[in-house]
Amino acid sequence: MLPIDAAAHSSRWRRRHPCEKAVLGLGLTVTAVCLPPWPGAVLVAAATVAILLGPAGVAPRQLWRAFRIPLGFCVTGAVPLLFAVGGPDGMVAFAPGGPGDAARLLLRTSAASLGVLLFAFTTPVSDVLPRLVRAGVPPAVVDVALVMYRISFLLLDAVANIRQAQAARLGHASRAAAWRSLAGLGATAFVRAFDRAGRLQAGLAGRGYDGTLRVLVPRATVSRPFLAMVAALLSGIVALTLVLERCLP
Amino acid sequence: MSIHEVLERVSHIMHIAEGYLPPLHAVAWGVASAPFVVHGVRALDREVRSNPESTLLLGASGAFTFVLSALKIPSVTGSCSHPTGTGLGAILFRPPIMAVLGTITLLFQALLLAHGGLTTLGANVFSMAVVGPWAGYGLYRLLRRFDVPLMVSVFFGAFVADLSTYCVTSVQLALAFPDPGSGIPGALAKFGGIFAVTQLPLAVSEGLLTVLVMRLLSRSSHGELTRLGVLATGAKKEASAR
Repeated sequence: MLPIDAAAHSSRWRRRHPCEKAVLGLGLTVTAVCLPPWPGAVLVAAATVAILLGPAGVAPRQLWRAFRIPLGFCVTGAVPLLFAVGGPDGMVAFAPGGPGDAARLLLRTSAASLGVLLFAFTTPVSDVLPRLVRAGVPPAVVDVALVMYRISFLLLDAVANIRQAQAARLGHASRAAAWRSLAGLGATAFVRAFDRAGRLQAGLAGRGYDGTLRVLVPRATVSRPFLAMVAALLSGIVALTLVLERCLP
Repeated sequence: MSIHEVLERVSHIMHIAEGYLPPLHAVAWGVASAPFVVHGVRALDREVRSNPESTLLLGASGAFTFVLSALKIPSVTGSCSHPTGTGLGAILFRPPIMAVLGTITLLFQALLLAHGGLTTLGANVFSMAVVGPWAGYGLYRLLRRFDVPLMVSVFFGAFVADLSTYCVTSVQLALAFPDPGSGIPGALAKFGGIFAVTQLPLAVSEGLLTVLVMRLLSRSSHGELTRLGVLATGAKKEASAR
């Protein structure tokens, strides 16, 4: 299992309805994207980190390990904004206002990423997928996604083991060997995936499979007070941003 | 860190990060992707209704796509990158199905790996699950129609799928962040230039990897490739020989 999903399964908010956590996490993300980055994104990021480390109970180390990945994308994604091409200053030059644009983009993407992490750290994907049918997603697509989700972890484990075995047999010792090993890895993943699907098919056929995958979904009710608090938080962030925007430089 | 490594990291914004696009652009790319995904969902729904056991095979195909995008391929510049997997996926499973499997894969990557994002899902789907597969598959079919050998067609299919994905990402970024001096064309040159340094060699790498994988599959999984329509059946071979 991947670290974020493993953390979600043992989250303090695991039993909360996914709808509540979606409204909170994705609401913060949309707020971060729509508000002016200064000071809006800063307020969103501060609120999100406080919720993640406080009521949601995510360990700081876990959060940092997950956040540094999107942060890396955000930083590298902001670098091109520092430069201008083909202007009067030459072929490539520092863009006027580039650092400001890059900083604003960095704030926005960081805050938005934290919002999604809040949802991901508290809601296992296996809790979300079966409920998508009620949201109007065709059951066939949800079933395919469920099978994908379950086989992906097995395949990732298999790929890690095969890679280790290839390394132990000097499969990465030269460039040619690395290419051969990689091709073998890709082909083996394909064979394993289809073999796993075939075995699943045989097992399900023995249990009277009729084309519908029935899974138990933990019962949960949507808490109106929780949603009211989320609405208050989001409204508060928007109001504070609009006020601070006039006061701050 | 060498300049090439910096460029390759920059080039990884192929997965446009969460919150990177302005709200209007995020919505517009979502709307642009929607017809292709809906078309794919209908194709998938029809397939599952007529053939219920294909749910498991499609799930396995999606899992394979997810895992493929997590593999590291050696780059000419000395560091590593990830294949898009769009070319191989489109050749094996067809572009409409890839639009759905690609969307689910991107959703999983956003939630499980913090790669990409939910507000940028539409833009990422358009480049990686729509344009890449259609461009790669289109060229692959065209070459096969002119009796170009299978592996040569596979190479060019994967090469074009990878490259077109990056070209569309460059356009998406250029539209969102026009250059202060030279506008959208300048930004397109800027983002395209960054991608060109790293993505041309990576597209060649992905093409070669796809050929190697397909060669192994044609030996070990002949039955599956025939069922997927990639390899001709005995009857078709005889017909084409006549």
